[in-house]
Parts: sequence; structure tokens; C-alpha cells
Amino acid sequence: MTKVATRLVAAEILKIRTTRAWWLFIGGFTAASVLAAVFNSGSNDNLLHPTLSDYPAGASRDAALAQAALARTAAGAVSRATSIMTSGQFLLVAITLMVGVHIATTEYGSGTMTSTFLVEPRRPRVVVAKVIVSALFGVAFWAIATALDAVATPLFLAAEHLPASAFGSPVVVRATAMGLLAFVLWALFGLGIGAVLRNQVVAVVVAIAIYAGGFLAVELIIHLLYDAFGASWLLSLAVLAPVQASNVMITAGKAFPDAPPWWVGGLVLAGYGVALAAVGATSISRSDVA
Amino acid sequence: MVIVVAVLVVGGLIWLLQRNRHAGRGLGPPPAGAVTNPGLPSATYDGEPVAASRRPLGRIEVRGLTKEYSGVAVVDDVCFTAEPGRVTGFLGPNGAGKTTTLRMLLGLVAPSAGVAEIGGFRYARIEEPICLVGAVLEASGADEGRTGRDHLRVLCQAAGLPRSRADEVLTAVGLARVGRRRVRAYSLGMRQRLGLAAALLGDPQVLILDEPGNGLDPAGIRWIRTFLRSLAATGRTVLVSSHQLGEIEQMADDLVVIAAGRVVAAGPLASVVGGHAGLEEAFLELTAGTEGIR
Repeated sequence: MTKVATRLVAAEILKIRTTRAWWLFIGGFTAASVLAAVFNSGSNDNLLHPTLSDYPAGASRDAALAQAALARTAAGAVSRATSIMTSGQFLLVAITLMVGVHIATTEYGSGTMTSTFLVEPRRPRVVVAKVIVSALFGVAFWAIATALDAVATPLFLAAEHLPASAFGSPVVVRATAMGLLAFVLWALFGLGIGAVLRNQVVAVVVAIAIYAGGFLAVELIIHLLYDAFGASWLLSLAVLAPVQASNVMITAGKAFPDAPPWWVGGLVLAGYGVALAAVGATSISRSDVA
Repeated sequence: MVIVVAVLVVGGLIWLLQRNRHAGRGLGPPPAGAVTNPGLPSATYDGEPVAASRRPLGRIEVRGLTKEYSGVAVVDDVCFTAEPGRVTGFLGPNGAGKTTTLRMLLGLVAPSAGVAEIGGFRYARIEEPICLVGAVLEASGADEGRTGRDHLRVLCQAAGLPRSRADEVLTAVGLARVGRRRVRAYSLGMRQRLGLAAALLGDPQVLILDEPGNGLDPAGIRWIRTFLRSLAATGRTVLVSSHQLGEIEQMADDLVVIAAGRVVAAGPLASVVGGHAGLEEAFLELTAGTEGIR
């Protein structure tokens, strides 16, 4: 079984590497990571050195200066380091989500599902290989982004004369580790959506809609319920939106005022991924390939 | 701001993906320099003959096979066998249920009732199935954006075969010179050959082909006929569906004729043709009254 799993996983990786999707994903992701690190360093630099002419003299200028001073403290330096170590994570995770959708749907679009199932008619094995490869992509993308950020962060701290020790602080390490979890879970989430929907275009649109706007719908429903019943625990249900779950998981403090502990977010996100993948795997295993 | 950038980049990525996927789907002229006649390789099969003791593994047996879609049977209680060492022609008008039957035999479509077995096993129960059964369904079945060679290498990897098999079968079907081109540049004939190459990867004892002559030029049709005959001559089982009755008449030992999902004739070619002037007359009479189903 392990031998079969190894070769099916290798075949799934080869499938991606032998089309342009490979360069699109790896190249696109690397370019996006570089841009994210550069822009994010720039905006953190702005925070430390506010352009005073942009602020009218008085309260708002004082606030900008106070914020800059705060950013210079030891805690502020740790925040800067955390920010740069997770540069552009919202966007980069979305690309990982697309990889998951791609792995699940592309064979239905191109018609290679037939030959895949002729080689391995035990379909759950094929699905497991796709799950493993999606998770591997999550790890690989996280590694690319983290490697780039790990170069940018010490450079930034040195250039800004902030304490270099901020780089190794437990807060930074935690944020980076949670990033890994987010990359892997979102890749699996994409795979699950793709497996359930199968049509690549539909799956991409739905995945983006859930990622970019799904929390608004959940938020709306929760606030309507809260207005009706007034129980404050209802507000913590915002974690049921996948993006909020992800936020709750990666945020060191409270992602929103009534947020549950971080691991609840992780469980919710993993739960969606597992449930979608299970439904998708069942339907893929049972349905006819025409 | 961040969200706008995120949406733009992700949107651009999707657009690129889709453009990439749909490029080459059109009917434009083939790219300059595309090889249109890859040249015909030796038509005989030079693989090892199947030992007599292993031949029962190659017997195809279909019993009571039925497939219903929302209560309507498209394949209805079909029974037939295909024997090792013989070419069995599988005939029927459009919509008769040929493709559905072959897909059930290959475990791609779940039967509503009945069994389809190869060597006594359902396809999904066969270990390393492509080393026993090779199948050609639609032309190539490959990703347009992948090269023919890479398509075969992916299948080798999944099946645990050495990747060098890809080059061997490309040569066997006459595609060695175009193996490194993307499939979107292939003609229909080249796609058919690529499909056949995939079927040959595991050097199978059983070949199942759904209209393999589609899109081939006369030389290609003759080549495939000779090729399938030589496979049968080494003790392999060949089950081939076709509309080209003249071809089948020259190539097949046995026939199975279905119409409207039911077997209307089965047996050696001569007995199916019977007292008719030829296969075409026999076929038209056997399937008369079932036109217009699709």
C-alpha cells in the first residue's frame, strides 16, 4: 500500500509539473511572495517614519507620531517582525487555495480522469494521493514565503535600527508556525471544494467567494440572530466563517472581541476541509466517469 | 487597498489559468512545423506471445449486464464473451450502448445489474490492471497542455512502470518524432495513436478499443488492422468496437452485435453474416427498426 501511495503521489506531482500550471503556480506564488515582502516592508517603514506633511498639525499628527514611537518599543519591534514574517499571507493563502481546486478539478476538465482510473481503479487511493499532494503544496508554498520573509525580516530590523532579537521572539515563531497550518488547511479546503463541485470554473468562483466574502454572510446572519436573541456567545460563532476561523487560528490575541481560543479556529477550518474532502471523495468514488 | 490588490492578482491568475486551459481548443490550423505524417512503424506486434497457460486470464465475460439511467435501460441484459487469440468485433448503431458497455467492463461506469469480468475478475479487483488490460476509449484522453510523452510518463509513474516504457510505446505506434509536442498540436489520427500507446504501456493480454479507426487515414486504418491482428496472433484478446464494417469484416474472428442495448447477434463472423451478401447487409437487417434512438 505504501508503495502504491508513493507512486500515486509521485504521479500527481508529475501531472502538475508537466503542464504550464506548474510555472504559473510556482512562478506566480514566488513573485507574489517577493512583492508582498517588499510592499509590507515599505508599509512598516511608513509606520515608523510617518510623512508628517500628510497629517494636518494637531490631533492626527500627534497620533501618527505616538504610533511611530510605539512601533519603536521592544513590543513594537516584535509586531514589525511578525508582520513581515507573514507578509501578504491573505493573498498567498488564496493562491494555495487555488492549487487545491486545481488538483481536484483539472482532470475532469481535461478528460484524463478516465486514464487515471484505468491505471488505479480503486478510486479512494487516487483521492488520498490528491489530499497528500495538496498538503505538500501547502507546505512548499509556506516554505517559499517563509524563506523569503526570513531574509527580509532581519534586513528590515537592521535597517530600522530595531533590536535584532525581535526576529526570534516566541510571538514571531508562533505566527510563522500558524502560517504553515493555514497554508495546509486552505489547500485542503480548496481540494474539498473542487472535489465536491468538479467543474473548475465554478469551483474557483465559489472558493474565491467564500474566501473573500463568505465571512460577511456569516457575520450578517450572526448579527440578525444576536439582535433577536441577545446572547453574546452568538457573536463568537463568527468563527464558523472559514476566513474568520483562519484569523482566529493565526492571531496571537483575540481576532475579534468575542473570539474563541485559537485552536477552535484551527478545528473549524480543518473540519471544513475534512468534511468537503470526504463528501467529494465519496461522490468521486461512486459516480460514473463518462 | 490590500483586498483590491488581492482580488486583482487572484482574478488575473484565474484568467491566466482559464486562458491556458482553453487555448488550442479551437479549430485553427495546426502550428507551423507540426508533423502531419509521422510515418508508419512496423505493423506487426513484436511483443512476447502469451503462454497458453496464461490465456484464460485474458477471457472477457459479460453476463446480464444492464445500465439504467433514470429508469431507462441503455444497456439491457447484455451477455457475450471475447476469447484470447481472437479479434472480437463489437458492432451497433449510434446509441446502441457500445461505449457504456465497454466503460462498465473497465470499471468506469457502475452497472445497474450483471457482471463484466476479465479473466474471472471485475476490473476494479485486478491488481496492476493496465498490465493485464489496455483500453483505448476516446481519442487520446490526454491533457491538451501536456506533451504526448509526458502523458505516458504520468501513467507509467502511476502504474509503477519504468518511465522508459513511454518512449518504447511511442515508437511502437509511430509517434516517436512528435512525442515532445503538446497534445493540442496533434491531429485526430495522432491522438488515436497516443491512446493506443497508453493502452500498450503495460504490455497487456487484453486490448479493448472503442472505435480506434476514427480519424485515421487509409494507411493508418490498414496499419491498425494489421497491428490488432498481430496482437491476436500472439494469443491476446482484442475487443474492438467500430462502425467501419468493411474493416471489421477483414479483421474480426467473432462478432457481437447490439442494438437498443440488447445483443441481437453473437458468434463467429461467418455465422453472423450467415446467408447475407456481406456484413453490411447482415448488420442493417439485424439492427433494422432501432434507428432514431439517439
